[in-house]
Amino acid sequence: MEQFLGGLQVLAQWQNFAVIPLGLAIGIVVGAIPGLTSDLGLILCIPLTYGMDPTMAILMLLAIYCGGTYGGSITAILINTPGTSANAATLFDGYPMTVKGQAFKALQMALFASTIGGLISAVSLLFLAPPIAKITLLFGPAEYFALSVFGLSVIAGVSNNSIFKGLIGACVGLFMASIGQDSISGTARFIFGQRRLMAGIDLIIALIGLFAISEIMMKSQYNPKTDHKTVSASAITKDKITKDEYRRCWKPIGIGSLIGVIIGATPGTGGGLAAFIAYNQVKQSSKHPETFGKGEIEGVAVSESANNGACGATMIPMLTLGVPGDGSTAILMGAFMLHGMVPGPSLFAEQGNILYAIMLGLIVVNVFMYIIGSVFTRFYAHITRIPYEILAPIVLTFCIAGSYSTNNRVYDIYIILIFGIISYFLRRMDFQLVPILLGIVLGPLMEKNFRRAMVISQGSPSIFFTRPISCAFILIAVVSVVVFGIRSARARKRAQENEAKQA
Amino acid sequence: MKIKYNSEIISGAIFTIVGAALWLLTPSQIRTKETTAITAQTLPRIAIGGLFVFAVCLLLEGIFAREKKELVVTRESFRSEGFKKELRSLLYALFLIVYCFLVKPLGFLIATALLVVAIMVFYGARKWYYYAIPLAMVGIVYVIFHEMLHVSLP
Repeated sequence: MEQFLGGLQVLAQWQNFAVIPLGLAIGIVVGAIPGLTSDLGLILCIPLTYGMDPTMAILMLLAIYCGGTYGGSITAILINTPGTSANAATLFDGYPMTVKGQAFKALQMALFASTIGGLISAVSLLFLAPPIAKITLLFGPAEYFALSVFGLSVIAGVSNNSIFKGLIGACVGLFMASIGQDSISGTARFIFGQRRLMAGIDLIIALIGLFAISEIMMKSQYNPKTDHKTVSASAITKDKITKDEYRRCWKPIGIGSLIGVIIGATPGTGGGLAAFIAYNQVKQSSKHPETFGKGEIEGVAVSESANNGACGATMIPMLTLGVPGDGSTAILMGAFMLHGMVPGPSLFAEQGNILYAIMLGLIVVNVFMYIIGSVFTRFYAHITRIPYEILAPIVLTFCIAGSYSTNNRVYDIYIILIFGIISYFLRRMDFQLVPILLGIVLGPLMEKNFRRAMVISQGSPSIFFTRPISCAFILIAVVSVVVFGIRSARARKRAQENEAKQA
Repeated sequence: MKIKYNSEIISGAIFTIVGAALWLLTPSQIRTKETTAITAQTLPRIAIGGLFVFAVCLLLEGIFAREKKELVVTRESFRSEGFKKELRSLLYALFLIVYCFLVKPLGFLIATALLVVAIMVFYGARKWYYYAIPLAMVGIVYVIFHEMLHVSLP
């Protein structure tokens, strides 16, 4: 309690409240540009914090991190391209809402859900860090593998009416994830003599190619004379979230935030995986799963609450155990060290006041994010009024520059353009891109832990079923696929019966 | 000429060939010296094997279980609106491929400006400011990345 009050005292300085909006503004802009991630924003801004005191510095960096995770939803909703990989699940319903002319509503919900997810995550960090860290310590390779299998079970829900196409997509994604140097043995895999492929295909590069470029290609048949819809400025911001929609979204936001906290606290996972798993759970437990993927506001709410719910929680293993959960927290850990704080079990005892100031500051960051986001959401929504023939080359320019900046090489530009063209043809053949994305995201986590688990068990797959957490994840994955299969079979039967009646 | 098809048959056939080719290429593309049961080849093999099996299933589903479209290829088909639309998509893809070849020798600024103009012409933009806005954006992006983010674009 003494440290808590001391933390409040450290936080209550005006300088802290000045750097938070600055960090958020940087984070939102960086997050909203496809190809630029909050990691890049953090790296670029660390030198700016050298002269600041530790609390101020870490709060500014945390604001960039949270702002970046929220900012990625803006482009996911407006142009079908997630700014960061954490926002990939926001595409499912965010962009269809824009297509239906509900961009403003989707942006509002993304902001609201991000804020609530972020607040729940910050409060969890404040009160539950030590017990959650103890649970995640129980995770070994078998549990991580089971968790990724659980993540892959989402495919059943996002494959529309062809499970084989979904499974092919996942296999393509897993194959793409295996390109490059094998992380365990160092063997080169499917590089076809191209040394540049040794590092593999960057996730953000794959995302830009799969979603942004293929979307631009899909619109190649757009005719400005007939397809451009003139929408008045007032009409865009008129369609606000209704009280009923807020009521409907509370449950998805709660589930999303909770899953975000749990997944976020598990090292090596992150907001993207949390969003996929939460989305799948909410879709399956919904009374109207058929509306998901077609512009369902609950879909935006759950995915955004989950990815921002993971933001604060990724700090739990870092602060309590000294284990960074993802790239951003690894950078934040470096920033902690630069300012004389070594994350780990002793940090609470040595610098409890500053630590509590930072954890309380995370709540302030989320409140500020809502205020800043509310002001700018109107502005973002008007992007949908820009004629597509102007928007397409602008988006393409950002995608090209963003992809180049990821590794500073022209090769990545080739990859996004080739990926985009291939994804376009896949979309034309009614393939969903999400299973491919899931394969790319989960492939490395799955393989690494599968191989480690098999080494531990001396080649026996029983390890996945004899450990309780691992077994539970696999069981939930199987049950969710079976339940989804039964539900979609019933839905198909009902549709056939309706057709027969109409005939 | 009459062709009966659906997307399942086309994609199933393509992925069956791709899966088989990748399976055959695996030993030459992953030269591992590991002697354990699980090696660097294991996951790619599972992914490629899965790809092949599911592609065959999709192909069979397309042949036996799904409704097929009938396409009658005549000289008229090449003049149809649908064919012209497909050609437009191919032209767009061609722009992107040409850009890949130009970006290194011409640099980001000139190559992207050319791509922007090509896309505007493609969409039939007539107003001068329709060209000016994206072209200005190319310059702004260059300045942001080069000056502020210290990313030296090609």
